[in-house]
Amino acid sequence: MIDPVAISNILAAAVAGALVIMFGAIYALLFAFSRLKQRPVLMIWAYLAYAVLVVAVGVLSITLNMRGFWQAVAVVMVVGYFVAPRLIWNLCAGTHSTEPGDGLGTVRHS
Amino acid sequence: MADTPWWASEDVWRKWAIWVTAFMAVVLIFLTFDTVAKITAGGERVPGYDVINKRIFYTFNADRNMQEPVIGGDAPLFGKMLSAGEAEELVNLGKLTVQAKNCMNCHTLLGNGAYYAPDLTKAWLDPAWGAESVREQLMVSFLMDPATNARTYGTGRRMPQLDITEDEAKGIVAFLKWMSSIDTNGFPKGFTPIRQEESS
Amino acid sequence: MSIAALNSANLNAGQKVAVKYFTVAMVLFFAQCLFGMLAGLQYLQPDFLYNVLDFNVNRMVHINAMVVWMLFGFIGSVYWLVEDESGTELVGAKLANVNFWILTLAVTVVVLVYLFVQTGPGTKETIWFINEGREYIEAPRWADFGIVACVLIFFYNVAATFMKGKWSGISGVLVLDLVALAGLYLAGMFYTTNISMDQHWWWWVIHLWVEATWEVLVGCIMAWGLMKTLGARRKIVTTWLYIEVALMFGSGILGLGHHYFWIGTPEYWFTIGGFFSALEPIPLVAMVVHAVYDSGTHNFRNSNHPALAWLIAHAFGNFFGAGVWGFMHTLPQINLYTHGTQWTASHGHLAFFGAYATIIIAMIYIAVQKWRGDVWMSGDLADKGWKWKWSLGLLNVGVVGMTVALLISGYEQSFVERALEGSTWGGYFSAQTQPWFIQGMHWRMLFGWVTTAGVVLLLWDLATIGKKETRRAIDPTVTPATT
Repeated sequence: MIDPVAISNILAAAVAGALVIMFGAIYALLFAFSRLKQRPVLMIWAYLAYAVLVVAVGVLSITLNMRGFWQAVAVVMVVGYFVAPRLIWNLCAGTHSTEPGDGLGTVRHS
Repeated sequence: MADTPWWASEDVWRKWAIWVTAFMAVVLIFLTFDTVAKITAGGERVPGYDVINKRIFYTFNADRNMQEPVIGGDAPLFGKMLSAGEAEELVNLGKLTVQAKNCMNCHTLLGNGAYYAPDLTKAWLDPAWGAESVREQLMVSFLMDPATNARTYGTGRRMPQLDITEDEAKGIVAFLKWMSSIDTNGFPKGFTPIRQEESS
Repeated sequence: MSIAALNSANLNAGQKVAVKYFTVAMVLFFAQCLFGMLAGLQYLQPDFLYNVLDFNVNRMVHINAMVVWMLFGFIGSVYWLVEDESGTELVGAKLANVNFWILTLAVTVVVLVYLFVQTGPGTKETIWFINEGREYIEAPRWADFGIVACVLIFFYNVAATFMKGKWSGISGVLVLDLVALAGLYLAGMFYTTNISMDQHWWWWVIHLWVEATWEVLVGCIMAWGLMKTLGARRKIVTTWLYIEVALMFGSGILGLGHHYFWIGTPEYWFTIGGFFSALEPIPLVAMVVHAVYDSGTHNFRNSNHPALAWLIAHAFGNFFGAGVWGFMHTLPQINLYTHGTQWTASHGHLAFFGAYATIIIAMIYIAVQKWRGDVWMSGDLADKGWKWKWSLGLLNVGVVGMTVALLISGYEQSFVERALEGSTWGGYFSAQTQPWFIQGMHWRMLFGWVTTAGVVLLLWDLATIGKKETRRAIDPTVTPATT
């Protein structure tokens, strides 16, 4: 069952939905750059982007009147978008590990 | 240089790609069997075509938190009770005409199509027709000569002359009446139906 | 002496067929814009061409031209890479040519009938010979069979070539994906009275093409392109293609559910559609991370700047068009207001352009380069490359502008029509006459002109880029790509 968004919340819900995806990507981008360039300060920005994502998911779940199953979807998003860049990064390192001069070790010092 | 770990190997991911795709496809096929059974005309969500012999109105169901069509007593279309076969034939003529006249590239049906003209999902129940008693004749006249009978509500948009015959127009009306009885999970949102003269 | 004349001797047999498909694709791209402009103008001047070339005809040609040019672009791209990837000659070069002409002729006949016959009486004959009246797949039934036959010949040609030569991970995914793509079209090839059943299967074609099999097809083309233009290693590219298939099909197949909220289908699709829609952006996140990783591990030398620029446009366009614009209104709680409004038009414009138009254009730049004998297409072009840069800019600004304008109109529409006025016809028209809506339509028209100017410039550039060039392209696969 769904409880449609209230009239006054349509815009907020749409913006929140857009922000979830955008900050999911910005977090992923900053996270990846931070690891690539060995710049811990970027990781702070990455987590700030992730914090925006969490807030956006919160706004989304309030405006979309999420209950029960839908709250679980919101939790899956919060957790999923946090771990996805990590998993993908590890996958990148794993798949590239046989390339000469190109594993993480060399990148870190280049 | 290091060895590729097993979880990042080409071989493992080929298997994942195959298994994930196969699993999702199988789930979709199972769901499709169930859905097709539930949307076959004559079921609970999509009534049989002879519903055009009945009165259709629209009420809010608090348990489902949405509006839904309700089928009432006899209200034959164009004053004639039709057998199941005749009703299907008439609705079918309407559906064929809707496709042949390319309605969907201006209108939406069930919300799908183009956005140049209003949605037709609940056209039968729309308050634009004034009263339940006159609507079927108004609809036929409009369809047969939309240029003259156009009401553009200040947009200037008129439906073009599509050479719809009287039989085809009646078919379209039957199709629209039947379509309005489909349970669309509350779409379109908060629909305000035509003044419902009785609620039998 | 100029090395840069268009010369078929520079191309292998498959590529000779490919450039024909690319040429028709670009002509249809222009037609798409032209008819889109006519339809857009009718929002502002409803009497324009009334009863001559009505909105429904223009809109049908607009979206059909798009579907067909993208399919031509995909077929062309596959013919482009098939000999290289299989390591052997195309088995049926003559067949491929005949097939191209039959398909092109059929498309021409279909469009002429759309324009000059337009509609017919409410009979099966109309559906067989004039117009099927189903959005995106309006082509009459005779043409459906023609399309399937042509696609099967294409499929035979590609699969048999791989069979004669060698298979690879990329070609395996490609061929299986083509089987699915052709098979899904069959789901749209029947008539039924029942509109719910009609739309249920219609979405199999539309969604499972656009949000599943087309995406994977693009993935295959990208995988090959990354090896050829950037010297990426086959093993890694193939692994990532598999990862992408798992993510795309894992989220996209049941993502079909987000089209099953309001067409009469059961309520459990809310749950399935909502959940898988939330997963659909994951492949996009994967691409972001991987692109950053690659930027650090390689020092790529790029030999074709316009193609690379369009690939970057693809990455952004796909992310915003499919990802952001899709998720913004995909959950049923909000989709109830936005389904069937200009929101969909907004999302459609950006997503089709960003995900598909961009990558096909990139592929055509790669083709032109080889066609002219591997000419220089890096920086420092004779005319500073103003044509490709401006066409890239105009097209992207134009499409993004239209998308934003339509979104504003769409928001106003869902607010006034759905939220305030009870979704009646009166509510619909009330929304259509609000200043915000009308201004959105004016801005859409303006950006339509910008887009069309971009297309004209693009066609001019594709016809002339590298013409007077005397330098050879740098070869990224010869120069070591890693630091």
